[in-house]
Amino acid sequence: MREQETVFKNGNEMAALAATQMNLHLMGYFPITPSTGIPEELSAHKAEGHHEIVLIPADGEHGAAGICFGASAAGGRVINATSANGLLYALEQLPVQSGTRTPMVLNVVTRTVSGPLDIKGDHSDIMYTLNTGWIILMAKDPQRVYDFNLIGTKLAEEKDIMLPLIIASDGFFTSHQKRRNQIFKDKKDVKEFIGEYKTLYSAIDPENPITIGPYMNEPDLINNKYQLSRAMDKAYEVLPKLFQEYGELTGRYYNLIETYRMEDAEACLFVLNTSFDTSMEAVDILRDQGKKVGIVAANVIRPWPKKEIQEVFKNVKGLCIADRQESYGARAGNMSLEIRATLKDDINNKTLVFNRIYGLGGKEFYVEDAIGLLEEALKVASEGKVDKDFDYIGVYEGNKHYEAKKYVEKVSSNFFENNLVVEKDEEKNELIVKGVNTRSLTAVPKRIAPGHQACPGCGIFPNLNLLSKGLKGYVVFLFHTGCGMVVTTGYPYTSFRSTYIHNLFQNGSATLSGVVEMFYEKQRRGEIDKKLEITFVMVSGDGGMDIGMGPAIGTALRNHNMIIFEYDNGGYMNTGYQMSYTTPHLAESKTSIVGPSFEGKSTFQKHGGRSTYHKDTVAIMAGTHIPYIATVAESHPVDFVKKVAKAQYAAQKEGLVYLKALSACPLNWKNPPEEQRSIIGTAVDSCYFPLYEIYHGITKLTYDPEKALKKMPVWKYFERMGVTKHLLRKENEDALRNIQKEVDRRWNRLKAMDAHPLL
Amino acid sequence: MQKGSLPTKNQFGFYEVRLESIGGLGANVAGKIIAEAGIVGMGFNGSNFASYGSEKKGTPVSSYIRYCDHNQQVRINSPIIEPHILGIFHENLVARLPITAGVNSMATIVINTDKKPLQAREYLKLSGGKVVVIDALKIAYEEKVKMNVVMIGAITRVMEFIDKDAMREAIKETLGKKYHNQLEANLRGFEAGYDLLELDEFEEDGRFPFIPFQEQRSQWGYENAPIGGIIVEVGNSIVKNNQTSRQGKIPLFHEDRCIHCGMCETTCPDYCFKFIDKEDDKTSKILMFNLGLDYQFCKGCLRCVDVCPVEALTEELEAEHEVEKITVKL
Repeated sequence: MREQETVFKNGNEMAALAATQMNLHLMGYFPITPSTGIPEELSAHKAEGHHEIVLIPADGEHGAAGICFGASAAGGRVINATSANGLLYALEQLPVQSGTRTPMVLNVVTRTVSGPLDIKGDHSDIMYTLNTGWIILMAKDPQRVYDFNLIGTKLAEEKDIMLPLIIASDGFFTSHQKRRNQIFKDKKDVKEFIGEYKTLYSAIDPENPITIGPYMNEPDLINNKYQLSRAMDKAYEVLPKLFQEYGELTGRYYNLIETYRMEDAEACLFVLNTSFDTSMEAVDILRDQGKKVGIVAANVIRPWPKKEIQEVFKNVKGLCIADRQESYGARAGNMSLEIRATLKDDINNKTLVFNRIYGLGGKEFYVEDAIGLLEEALKVASEGKVDKDFDYIGVYEGNKHYEAKKYVEKVSSNFFENNLVVEKDEEKNELIVKGVNTRSLTAVPKRIAPGHQACPGCGIFPNLNLLSKGLKGYVVFLFHTGCGMVVTTGYPYTSFRSTYIHNLFQNGSATLSGVVEMFYEKQRRGEIDKKLEITFVMVSGDGGMDIGMGPAIGTALRNHNMIIFEYDNGGYMNTGYQMSYTTPHLAESKTSIVGPSFEGKSTFQKHGGRSTYHKDTVAIMAGTHIPYIATVAESHPVDFVKKVAKAQYAAQKEGLVYLKALSACPLNWKNPPEEQRSIIGTAVDSCYFPLYEIYHGITKLTYDPEKALKKMPVWKYFERMGVTKHLLRKENEDALRNIQKEVDRRWNRLKAMDAHPLL
Repeated sequence: MQKGSLPTKNQFGFYEVRLESIGGLGANVAGKIIAEAGIVGMGFNGSNFASYGSEKKGTPVSSYIRYCDHNQQVRINSPIIEPHILGIFHENLVARLPITAGVNSMATIVINTDKKPLQAREYLKLSGGKVVVIDALKIAYEEKVKMNVVMIGAITRVMEFIDKDAMREAIKETLGKKYHNQLEANLRGFEAGYDLLELDEFEEDGRFPFIPFQEQRSQWGYENAPIGGIIVEVGNSIVKNNQTSRQGKIPLFHEDRCIHCGMCETTCPDYCFKFIDKEDDKTSKILMFNLGLDYQFCKGCLRCVDVCPVEALTEELEAEHEVEKITVKL
């Protein structure tokens, strides 16, 4: 036994603690609820100097998976964490990694796969990974999350295994619930257990050149897969030994399957992860009534514990398999399919099996639910027949007598009239807008209703209001995932009075371009009125232009008639403020925590690049040569609305428009709600966020703080935000000077572009 | 290993605490501290978690703490339905949620309010139980700390089985590192919460019924909901009420000073202002005029006060005004 100590932590914290104690080499990640706590906690450990793990914020989960694959191919120890659609976005990389036999550990903190978007937990995500060739351990509580991260790292690296490995824990139930846990007191014991990683091949061993990932067709590929299959067999053989070895060190022993009061059980429930614990209470209650019931779960589902499952159910008469997901159309969840197949292979098995789907979208699973399922299993056992082999529990039919109410009067094309006039001066290549006046614009009906759930002082809604005022007639919105979407459309409520679509964080531009082209094609075919005019607006923010950059560029290069509007709040705010590429250089965020050993957002400054200064999304979009690009700020509302009116003109007549607003976030920037507009003003006046437009390649400043005699140094903006205040401290003098230099460089470049139409 | 014993337990062996709050008041941190004092400090077993949504300020949040004996396993993950202690961080929550659901006459309710226990019981419509009142906001304001430490003080006092020192240690552990300079003030806030509460006990006298816990369901289910999660009732968020987001301050509109420039309307995130068109007395033109704001949606951010060029909007204490009377319905 090695000395253990007690900690009170949740699943995400335990995963991070394991990684810290192992001092892995690298983590490539992209934040997604509910797994984000893992990189956040590792960032906190890094700030304190508890580990040396390189934390790489990717541009999306696909990128994160690529980073991890590369790092693993380069022979180091790698970790990642993700959930739900993040996992699915990375999914195509998973077989690449198992097929090339590059081990690592991925913590899947399970969550419902969208859509509609649901951030709570079920097993619809993890079941997609069954065929990927990754080992899958199921950690039902924070203790197992820690233990399985250690055991899993060692298992994945075994010479005859060399497979990547997933540890799946239940989102929120495990990831966010603090429990009392045991950990190794001394890191040395952890290191000793996992041993040294001896990779067979490495991408960074130039004296032994190798080819990783050849072009391999038939007849060879099948052999590669057979090797993989045999590696899984090996894992099945080794895992119990590792469990034993680990138990001897810690006193915590595990088996491939988890059982409770199964000795003489006639009726039984199979459930994965946290529901197993809940069901233990149900079993105790029923056992007290003299009923012979028990429960089973699996600690590993790849490799599949076939023998153990056959053995445990040998004498069970009635078995309920409760799945927290469905393989739609199979009328079964995946565990139900697999266990039935497994029992079929045991010719002596007579167990009657039925399947229930429960707890989708994080719906609670109470002890009474478990009792209900066990009672059903008892009935099946005693009657010797199954009445209903498949059903959902916990659904409800709704109020049949409820009639949908009307909250908006009939909308006609002049309903959203703003009386603005846009004219094009062909000679000067300029758009001229008349009639912008904040007083008269109060007459424009709101496209978004009050009652949304944003934080007090949120900057998104003044921005959307100004956007909406500049647009006349019909608008179809598409929102990326983000605060703007989450706080407006919490079912069964919506704040939108115009048509609205949501798509996930990365793919809004592409999706809306599909809507746009269907509109024009239907018009061309005469299927809808040819005179109908609609303005299509994609709204992104909260880092959506990081993960969504690729589709946005694609949409720009295709030049669809639509507007991309970005409210840039400098971070992933809807998931609690992790850094995005637009976060100010060296700013604090939950994944760039400032401390004795870390200086804030700064990952790759080793070679003197400028890449971690706030991302210049406008410059990237300008490279696509779309008709109109502009920056807008709520501190300059007239300029804002004028640009929106121009955007509408350009989107309808010329093609794609990109508008970018700097959007205040009092919660995460850490400043008083009432000051948001003036803070945005300092960003504009310090030239951190200059106001300009690019129309057909010609750049014009629309506001020059120098000419207005308002130009200020960038620290005047940084001192207003809790997350950048530290940059004003004496010890950060040089860093601040460098940021000022970069802001000056970009500003001077803009001035030159303003002065010269060719730039 | 375990110091002391739990005074009472539910059928699953737990002593349970539920904290009802709005995001930003520190209920999550309070939950963590209370749990740690019992589990790390006193050697009980247990768990702590919160209700989750996306990360927002000003919206309701619940925090849960379970204690059980040292050697008992924690097998329950679900929210606390019938708490032994209910902590209410913001009294406006009563208007919005069935926060007293599942709270029976065996429970102790600790509420942040300037009311007396009897008034608080009426206000909460409690079937019965011990009612503890503490003016946490006022104490927090005086000590310049967050009100959560004051609430922890009051809850510690009524829990009895948790050593005061264990709670102080947990506060030091959680708040001491990051907010080192405020630690002494935080501990003073904690002590004040411990000392200054008022308590009264109410029989289940039939004055108000016990409200059982029920899962919140919408009108829509699998038989009648439009497929694909489509919402057809566009703009229905207007039935919502955002008033619990306010923390004591409101903007007050002075029509006589207003120049109707519309700047307040451009900065208001919650679309509270009501402008109408009418003929201007001086110019005989049809112009837009500001009538004021609808407090149903006002979250008290005071952005409008900040941008108003003529002080037609001023920052005021909500307690000094009757918002129902000055509100202008949209």
